[in-house]
Amino acid sequence: MEKISVVIDGRTFEAEKDTCVLEVARRNGIYIPSLCYNSEVTSSGGSCRVCLVEAHQGGRMRLVTSCNYPVRKGLEVKTDTPLVHRIRRGVLELLLARVPDSEVIREMAAAEGVTEVRFRKDEGENERYKCIACALCVNVCAEVVGVHAIAMVERGADKKPATPYNKPSDVCIGCGACAYACPTGAIELKEKDGVRRIWHKDFKMVRCSVCGTPYIPEAQVDWIVSKTGKDRSFFDKCPDHRF
Amino acid sequence: MKEMTQIQDVSRFDRIIDRYERSEESLLAILQDFQREFHYVPEEGIRRLSEVMGVPASKIYAMGTFYKALSLTPRGRHTIKVCTGTACHLKGAPQILETLERELRVKRNGTTEDGEFTLECVNCVGACAMAPVTLVDEVYHGKTRPSKVMDIVRKQVEG
Amino acid sequence: MGVINSIEQLEEYRRELAATAKPDLPTVLVCFGTGCQANGSRLVANAFMEIIKEQGLQVDVNIGIKTTGCHGYCENGPLVALRPQDILYLKVKPEDVPEIVEESVKGGRIVERLVYRDKVTDEIVPRYSEIPFYKHQLRIALRHIGTIDPTSIDDYILAGGYAGLAKALRMEPEDIISEVERSGLRGRGGAGFPTGTKWRSCAAVDSDVRYVMCNGDEGDPGAFMDRSIMEGDPHAVIEGMIIGAYAVGSRQGYIYVRDEYPLAIRNLTTAIEAAREKGLLGENILGTGFSFDIKISRGGGAFVCGESSALMRSVEGNVGEPRAKYIRSVERGLYNKPTVLNNVETWANVPEIILKGAEWYASMGTEGSKGTKVFSLVGKVNNTGLVEVPMGISIRELVENIGGGVLGGKKFKAVQTGGPSGGCIPERLADLPIDFDSLTEAGSMMGSGGIIVMDEDTCMVDVAKYFTGFLVEESCGKCTPCRDGLPRIYDLLTEVTEGRGREEHLDMLEELCDLLTWGALCGLGTSAANPVLSTVKYFRDEYEAHIRDKKCPAGVCKALITYSIDPEACTGCRLCAKNCPQNCITGKRKEAHVIDTSKCIKCGVCKDVCAFDAVRIS
Repeated sequence: MEKISVVIDGRTFEAEKDTCVLEVARRNGIYIPSLCYNSEVTSSGGSCRVCLVEAHQGGRMRLVTSCNYPVRKGLEVKTDTPLVHRIRRGVLELLLARVPDSEVIREMAAAEGVTEVRFRKDEGENERYKCIACALCVNVCAEVVGVHAIAMVERGADKKPATPYNKPSDVCIGCGACAYACPTGAIELKEKDGVRRIWHKDFKMVRCSVCGTPYIPEAQVDWIVSKTGKDRSFFDKCPDHRF
Repeated sequence: MKEMTQIQDVSRFDRIIDRYERSEESLLAILQDFQREFHYVPEEGIRRLSEVMGVPASKIYAMGTFYKALSLTPRGRHTIKVCTGTACHLKGAPQILETLERELRVKRNGTTEDGEFTLECVNCVGACAMAPVTLVDEVYHGKTRPSKVMDIVRKQVEG
Repeated sequence: MGVINSIEQLEEYRRELAATAKPDLPTVLVCFGTGCQANGSRLVANAFMEIIKEQGLQVDVNIGIKTTGCHGYCENGPLVALRPQDILYLKVKPEDVPEIVEESVKGGRIVERLVYRDKVTDEIVPRYSEIPFYKHQLRIALRHIGTIDPTSIDDYILAGGYAGLAKALRMEPEDIISEVERSGLRGRGGAGFPTGTKWRSCAAVDSDVRYVMCNGDEGDPGAFMDRSIMEGDPHAVIEGMIIGAYAVGSRQGYIYVRDEYPLAIRNLTTAIEAAREKGLLGENILGTGFSFDIKISRGGGAFVCGESSALMRSVEGNVGEPRAKYIRSVERGLYNKPTVLNNVETWANVPEIILKGAEWYASMGTEGSKGTKVFSLVGKVNNTGLVEVPMGISIRELVENIGGGVLGGKKFKAVQTGGPSGGCIPERLADLPIDFDSLTEAGSMMGSGGIIVMDEDTCMVDVAKYFTGFLVEESCGKCTPCRDGLPRIYDLLTEVTEGRGREEHLDMLEELCDLLTWGALCGLGTSAANPVLSTVKYFRDEYEAHIRDKKCPAGVCKALITYSIDPEACTGCRLCAKNCPQNCITGKRKEAHVIDTSKCIKCGVCKDVCAFDAVRIS
């Protein structure tokens, strides 16, 4: 793989071609906040805008999202400039106005010195109250799980992840990957008496034959069996008691 | 609001789907044809399209919510569109819209209770020289005035 | 003739058409553009057909009836042009038709009441080419509009169509790209990127598949030149695209047309089919071995789909969300293949540039902006319509000379250019030459060429709020600054226009604008602040009047105005009282009326119906 050297905050690093700036920075201990990006999900990133950094190249400077900006020859990145902080503060103030109840956003905003919102706050309603519409859940469901149970629907300020018609999805397997990936914990996943409820749908859980803990939805087992041809008995035990 | 009646007969959807190539490129055009045929995009239509094309229903539903030309709830028998392009705005489109909202007792993008009219705004129909423009069932009316717009609507609808 | 098998055959076919055409045949051209159709041009055309049939004129005087695309002077539609007399009749009604046939077609005389009359000198101007609106124009992109029948490929070929393609097919692709580069043609869709450079970058990428696309998603409110071209001269767009495809090595093209333009979709579809039948599209075009075809994609009503990456996502059958352009679409565009995307007007210019040469094209316009540009001159101006002039003409020339000045003798206040991505330029800068760079420098942009004239009755805060509201509705919602920032800007502008504005709101507005400009993902978001920034910059006093004095100087913002009746002017005709939806106007017949302002909802109906201009806004 071709190696490229890139300068971040005055230090030179080697990175593989097409790696994003954020990855290179993280590996080298340079902190850039991020919400909508997950390194395991190639379609993620680019929407929340908290990871904006200055990209200097060919005498030109612009702000780019470090989570999807590929390293290039001659690129110099600055992550700690007045402009970067000014715009990041603005983004975080907007996010705070949108989801004032989100602990994650409150902390990230406070770290940039944003504790007050000067704008009208959004009314906390339904599942949107912590959702920043970053689409990571949708990207995980489509790309990692491969079931496409949810999509980003509507547009503008109403944009949100949803199942078709907000009804229980035909294809959802209840795996909860969306909820685990969500940066603000906005997706409700409830479990009670061996039944998991997510996206308006109830899933019967398989109990571990050793410890009796309900640990995976039956629908998810069906899905994995159909995709991988793995033997169903493999799922009799939870990962803790499997081997 | 008109009752949402279930459309059981999938052949009505298939007839439209069959006119197009089996390609995702055709999705938007098919949805628009659904809209034209049923005056909205029915849920069963989205499910059928998903099945036939092998495209996730969530994706087609998202398109249905994103594109303004598509509506997921039944529209009125007649559609009134107030052009709210810049030229129309300057020449009094807001007053036209308000008049229609008041007289029809419906908000923009809403449908009257009797299912007769849907009132929409459209961002410039490219007929700026005739501003302000109001469309009743795709018939253009130029230089509309607040005091006359209801007459125009009634006259056209009643024939 | 069926398929045309070679370039020579095309020329032969053109000669055949010319031999059978009768240039002296009196021809009635009825405009069938959207505007004229709305004003009843179909009825006018029918009236001509009927009278011709009735009188058996084909024996007596042979008349051709032709329905054409938009002449651009929509204000005065339905338009009827007579050839070879070069007469233009305005606002023609079906009942005028017998007189036109009798007097003009048969008698060669002019029907004075239907021709253009100069508003100042009161002189009549019967000749099409002498009317000031047309006289100052130089039509390249609009070259055939209003003179050919857009549904007839023969009409287009007879007018010289596909000669540019014939010439191009004899050139090396590389030479075509150089020609376009040297012409200085820049994209007519908004940003003004050099077309030749775009083509060269696309051709240079190593790939077996390449696409050429036409952006017909003309979304800027107040701009309709692309509609006019697609409706009125669809083959010009198709010919341009075939040339572009040959130059960059593409086999498949797409035209993305706005859903709101049904006639454009119809005429383009007809034109593509006709071009296929003639062998100008499809396999082995004109026997040269080059193959290329075009598909039409119908938009779904989303302004953001005019943005290139969103447009491509939409064509692929997705929600039209933009993506980061860290990799350019000439490298990875539609289906991640190298793609050239140009707008309608750009494509329509290409055949002429190839035919007449780069030097000819570059001889027009300014240093940085070559050639002509089509503007749609609309708003508070006397002559509204489509105007094509060399780049570099000043705003004032456009408004005063071609537009005939501001409507109703009011004071010229500003022009808005560039749609929701552009800004407002005040009257004091009206001597600015219109080209890509000067408009950007002034805080606006060329956009697709909408020029919206504003007068003293236009409130600039309301204009900023209007565009922000537009963008709030059209934001795709993908990135935070645009999705959540625009509604906050709209909130602040609402506070200002409703009299609750505070001094610090101006700073907050500027902060949010800064955030959008730097932080948004796509062109829609990064330019979304322009309407606010430009009005704050040039019309700060108006913002301050709203904030400090709680006044709307232009008398637009409803919360800050009151309606009253001038007792001097009121004749007591009762018309306003009868029409008032609130029943809050009282007064005896033939006595001055009074509005009960506590009940008044400021709907404007009284002002609208008053024949004596007695309703005042303060």
